[in-house]
Amino acid sequence: MVVEDPRSIVKRWLEAESLLVVGKSVERADSIEKALGRARFVEDFFEEGYLVARLVLAKVPHARLRAIDYSRALGVPGVARVLTYRDVPGENQVGYAIPDQPLLAEGKVRYCGEPVAIVVGRNPDAVNEAVELVELDIEPLPALLDPLEAMERRDVLVHDSLGSNIAFRTRVRKGDVEEGFSKADVLVENTYRTHHQEHAYLEPEAALAIPDLENRITVLATIQYPHLGQRIVSRVLGTPASYVKIVAPYIGGGFGGKDDEGPLVAARAALAAYHLRKPVFLYYTREDSIQTHPKREAAVIRYKSGASRDGKLTAIEVTIIHDTGAYANRGPFILWRATMHSSGPYYVPNAKVDGYCVYTNKVPQGSFRGFGNPPIHFAVESQMDRLAEKLGMDPVEFRLANMLRPGSETLTGQVLESSVGVHEALRRLAAASSWRTKRQEYERSRTGRFRRGIGAAVAWHGNSTSRGVPDWSNAYIHVARDGSVSVYTGIVEMGQGSPSSSHRQLVAEILGCPADKIRVVFGTTDAPDSGATHASRGTSVGAIGIVVAAGRIRSRLESFLSEYYNVERERIRMSGGQVVVDGEVRMSWEELVALAYTKGVDLSATGYFFLPKGAFNDDVGQGFAYPAFSFIAVIAEVEVDTCTGGVRVLEVHPALAIGRVINPEAVKTQVEGAVLQGIGYALMERLVFSPEGRIVNDNLTDYVIPTSHEVPVIRDPIFVEDLWEFGPFGAKGVGEMAFIPMPAAVANALSHALGARITELPLTPERVYSVIKQISGG
Amino acid sequence: MRVAFTLNGHRVEVDVESSETLLDTLRLRLGVKSVKRGCERGECGACSVLLDGRPVVSCLLLTVQVEGREIVTVEGLYGDELFEELFEEFSKNFAIQCGYCTPGMLLTSYALVKRASGGPLRVSGDHIVKAIEGNLCRCGTYPRVVRAVSRVLERRLPSGSRL
Repeated sequence: MVVEDPRSIVKRWLEAESLLVVGKSVERADSIEKALGRARFVEDFFEEGYLVARLVLAKVPHARLRAIDYSRALGVPGVARVLTYRDVPGENQVGYAIPDQPLLAEGKVRYCGEPVAIVVGRNPDAVNEAVELVELDIEPLPALLDPLEAMERRDVLVHDSLGSNIAFRTRVRKGDVEEGFSKADVLVENTYRTHHQEHAYLEPEAALAIPDLENRITVLATIQYPHLGQRIVSRVLGTPASYVKIVAPYIGGGFGGKDDEGPLVAARAALAAYHLRKPVFLYYTREDSIQTHPKREAAVIRYKSGASRDGKLTAIEVTIIHDTGAYANRGPFILWRATMHSSGPYYVPNAKVDGYCVYTNKVPQGSFRGFGNPPIHFAVESQMDRLAEKLGMDPVEFRLANMLRPGSETLTGQVLESSVGVHEALRRLAAASSWRTKRQEYERSRTGRFRRGIGAAVAWHGNSTSRGVPDWSNAYIHVARDGSVSVYTGIVEMGQGSPSSSHRQLVAEILGCPADKIRVVFGTTDAPDSGATHASRGTSVGAIGIVVAAGRIRSRLESFLSEYYNVERERIRMSGGQVVVDGEVRMSWEELVALAYTKGVDLSATGYFFLPKGAFNDDVGQGFAYPAFSFIAVIAEVEVDTCTGGVRVLEVHPALAIGRVINPEAVKTQVEGAVLQGIGYALMERLVFSPEGRIVNDNLTDYVIPTSHEVPVIRDPIFVEDLWEFGPFGAKGVGEMAFIPMPAAVANALSHALGARITELPLTPERVYSVIKQISGG
Repeated sequence: MRVAFTLNGHRVEVDVESSETLLDTLRLRLGVKSVKRGCERGECGACSVLLDGRPVVSCLLLTVQVEGREIVTVEGLYGDELFEELFEEFSKNFAIQCGYCTPGMLLTSYALVKRASGGPLRVSGDHIVKAIEGNLCRCGTYPRVVRAVSRVLERRLPSGSRL
């Protein structure tokens, strides 16, 4: 019997044993073409004769926009057209969570850097000159730059029609916090502040829009979700989605930034091509990119928590305020995620959490690796250390005493029956990193110029989308007559490697064909909608559809072979490119495919899988939050120079509970990259705003990201393979994981070295030095 | 303005603006796509090329400055034994993620290994870290690049000078 049911297929491969390809560090399929410079990124498709375009950005933070005068810009030889909101044939509305954002400013400008117009011309020099000649007739308005002020003000509104500067609220009400605090023997209360972070992907945003290719408009874009780009372009142009094709070729880093900006850069290029009927290449300079696109959440978090003498958390009370900037963008989802994770991976009986997503006249807040979780974990894990200290407990022991285990109830009252390996992860990590010994050793030597500290932090991160947004996976697989296999997915390749490593491995394992027969066609709307490449879902959710589609083809081939050889299916093995019956090789993969073609076996399949989710009550923040959680624990060792305040991370020990590890080396690269980005955020990266709210350091000279010199020793991770029932072979998400605990781990290690705590990021030399001076009475 | 130079072993002559960067000439006039635009102010190293064998950023060079000189990009190293050894190690060590910095990172590594194998220079892991400090990688592949280059150096340097 042919098995086509998605749940049965996912279960079969979850339980499969003696895997040949899954779990092996198979080299990535894209390495060689990237090394040879043959891998094409959006800009590499630009050819002579195409039109070029750049954005005109607002230079004021808040103003009524009376008129846009581009007559002088049009006078520049080579300039073809200037487009404004008046030229949008469909809807000038691109807000993801709330319909508050125009594609091009209309009526008002709300932040320095907001796109107001698009200049199109025959060469970059003409366009660059013309961009400076577009004049805005404006009436300046008072600008709100501080979210704490903005949430109180009614006289100045970023969005007039909303009547408030609070874009979105979240809350959790669980148990009775007053009673919880009354049972506490120790209380800790602090305010934590975190800052914006720039993605600084090496490839700035770009899009190439080609009208009339395949009788529709085709846009190649730096985008993490082609099907979302299709939806936005279709809305802006007033064209059915089926007439819009989006392709994400190789992407030079995304980290969430191209999830927010990707559809917008695609829509702007498409708008220009729509009017000019010629290919248009729209590019952001580095400065345009930093001024315009949304940033990691800047947060103010007030956190109070209590614990009893026996080391159990009794209650938490938390207020989270996110500076969402001029537009909500994905802010409501980011705040929701932060709120529902605000206990950390611990059992908390009583909780009161309030979240506010607040408009200001600054660059919007957006998606960035961790999506709201790094700041809240910075707060949670700083609190946990302080509570442990007050209780006189070891920080790791205190965490273990409160940690979620199978059967535990989360902050939102969701009971996690399985796939909760975090307790084991931290326990094994503490042993492997010589935590206790080093902790004591560094405490004994808190003298001299250079001091060392060791700190732990643990994090959890719900798999799939937030706010119960429906999530699904899909893919299309086709086996050609020569036995080569094409896999079509909307998941993109932005460095994370899912199409280039895990997707191939899954198909090779399930079909039993050689991995080099498999080509993954990624990042295209010609594939079924596979959801976005965000939320660590490229493999964990994105590839479920691949398992289902491949599983269907496998099942059909097994049925055929069983009939052909007249044996039970259990006696047939398909692996490593061979068909084996009763231990005897009968034919090769290629022979099997050729034969199947002549016998009426359908070797094409889709693999739709809809993720089951439960109910959630937003009034009290209780219910089903996420289908599974990934977990990570890290222990970081730092050295601080007490003469300069400079902090160096020496060593990082990670342990992950992320279900099945499909490609260990590929997973390690995600861990290492996230650790380094997290260190950048914790220690050195900082966007500086002028008093008018303009980003001052909009280039890679003044916005400093880690170089080869900042790399600590990153130990091989400990993996706890706590399989997730719906994940491909039980895999959960990993891409964001190592970022989330890093700021907290570094801060905890620094505080261990100094004997004093800093509650505001980044931990720059100035900030650290001022604390050193305080504690030494200087 | 007419400029003549050697690109990947071939003499080229191009008409350029006097203010044109080598990055633009390579990408837009000569179709060399491996040289990437990242910051256009010499900060990221994605546009690295070899100028007379030394790594330089092509966004800070005017094309008129390379008159008569030799420019090499990864396209010019196809078939080069050392280059192949390097990129195979990059692949084996998962030193390539998004790939945007990769051609520049490989050219810088190539120049380092060439220099190290040409003389009595002692090369350590720190030298590799130093050599690639101007090639930014936001995916964070640095430790793997260092490992890949170390493997090549270990094989190429006389025994006894292991890293």
